[in-house]
Amino acid sequence: MDTFATLRDIIVEKFEKDPAEITPEATFETLEIDSLDTFDIIFSAEEKFGIKVPNEQVEIKTVQDVVNLIDKLRAAQGKV
Amino acid sequence: MTRRVAITGLGLVSPLGNTPEIFFNALMAGKSGIRRIEADFAERLDTKIAAQAEFDPLQHFTKHKASSLDRVSQFALYAAGQAIIDAGLDMERVDKSRMGVYLGTGMGGAASVEEGYVRLYRDSAERLKPFTVLMAMNNAAASQIGLEYGLTGANLTYSTACSSSSIAIGEAFHQVRHGYADVMLAGGAEALLTFGTIKAWEALRALASEDKGNASASCKPFAADRSGLVLGEGSAIVVLEDMELAKLRGAHIYAELTGYGSGNDSSHITQPSPAGQAAAMRAALHCAGLIPSEIGYINAHGTGTPLNDPAETAAIKLAFGEHAPNIPVSSTKSMHGHLMGATSAVEFVACVLALTHGAVPPTINLQNPDPACDLDYVPNVGRRGVPLRHVMSNSFAFGGTSGVLIASRVD
Repeated sequence: MDTFATLRDIIVEKFEKDPAEITPEATFETLEIDSLDTFDIIFSAEEKFGIKVPNEQVEIKTVQDVVNLIDKLRAAQGKV
Repeated sequence: MTRRVAITGLGLVSPLGNTPEIFFNALMAGKSGIRRIEADFAERLDTKIAAQAEFDPLQHFTKHKASSLDRVSQFALYAAGQAIIDAGLDMERVDKSRMGVYLGTGMGGAASVEEGYVRLYRDSAERLKPFTVLMAMNNAAASQIGLEYGLTGANLTYSTACSSSSIAIGEAFHQVRHGYADVMLAGGAEALLTFGTIKAWEALRALASEDKGNASASCKPFAADRSGLVLGEGSAIVVLEDMELAKLRGAHIYAELTGYGSGNDSSHITQPSPAGQAAAMRAALHCAGLIPSEIGYINAHGTGTPLNDPAETAAIKLAFGEHAPNIPVSSTKSMHGHLMGATSAVEFVACVLALTHGAVPPTINLQNPDPACDLDYVPNVGRRGVPLRHVMSNSFAFGGTSGVLIASRVD
């Protein structure tokens, strides 16, 4: 499962965004997605990838930040 | 400082339609919004009837917004928007620090709470939706309205079971009357037609059994063959405004909110006390400066339970004395069901429109009178051409809190 493509689909589905807007470099701020909404994205990513993102606050600014977080956890939790 | 309080806007989502006029026309036509429950869980219910609102959130909100709002907040936001438009309020010009929101709800985000439990207990999920708290909290609906319009005046949620929204409207009346706010959005919202909530009501043995020939006729307030209440869902919100400011901006004024009485029976958690109910009616009359003979219509609490209806009848006799038999008293719950925390607001809208139309809605399904209920309940057929000046809306509740409102004609 391609992490970025899956994440993009989650964002597009939830926020009815144009897929072209969702690039790795795009910041959630420019996408007008606030921190509360990023929790919702992470929630869906947890289900989709079968991982558990720890509850500690993580620094997330761009789409790539979430991709990195997911990849790291998939590797650590053996869900690649 | 005491100011007069105008009612300048109405908004509503109900089992009889989603505008005040459609709703009131349905009441006058004696239509029922009660029907068989359309849900997967219905087969596991003993009581398969309810008064559901037809409301498609995706017609009013984006997909993301809709998914972050419990149904109760969706109803409330929609009703509030309607009420603001109806009042002709220019939100660019309103002093938002002088405008607040008081809502009533019994169970707040009931569906969100239940969905969380289903995930947790049935599905053994690791996590709940991140919005669960924000959707389930009882003050979500009022808060969402405040957020939507940037209102920084007082924002409170009242929860007194079936009288919640009467209390919210009454307390909002005080806000305006005593100068704490110029404009208030006041009312209630409820969306509790979930499997768990209906099962809980079943266990209390308070629900009406289904009428064998006609499910929509299952709620029979004041009738000898009444068997209980029918749960409903929806929201009603009114705009309350300082009378002078409303006149100054040339607002259409439906009526004046003149009376509010509240108190608690403090006698039993469910059984009504006629003395307590009569005290609240007297308090509302006193607040409005009216005598009993001046009330032209009472919208009864009229749940259709064996206990409520004779108790309320006795209470009306206590409060109105010799005038009681002359006053039309109807239970519109026979048509829209019991919307719990939203019910008094919906019934208050019915009262305001009764006043402005000079029309009294009926109590339907009243074919077999109960000797213990011997007032004029406007059986089965509404009355038009009734010159009403002052109308009363009664609300009583589990937990004992009474809320009584009086609306008066403005000439």
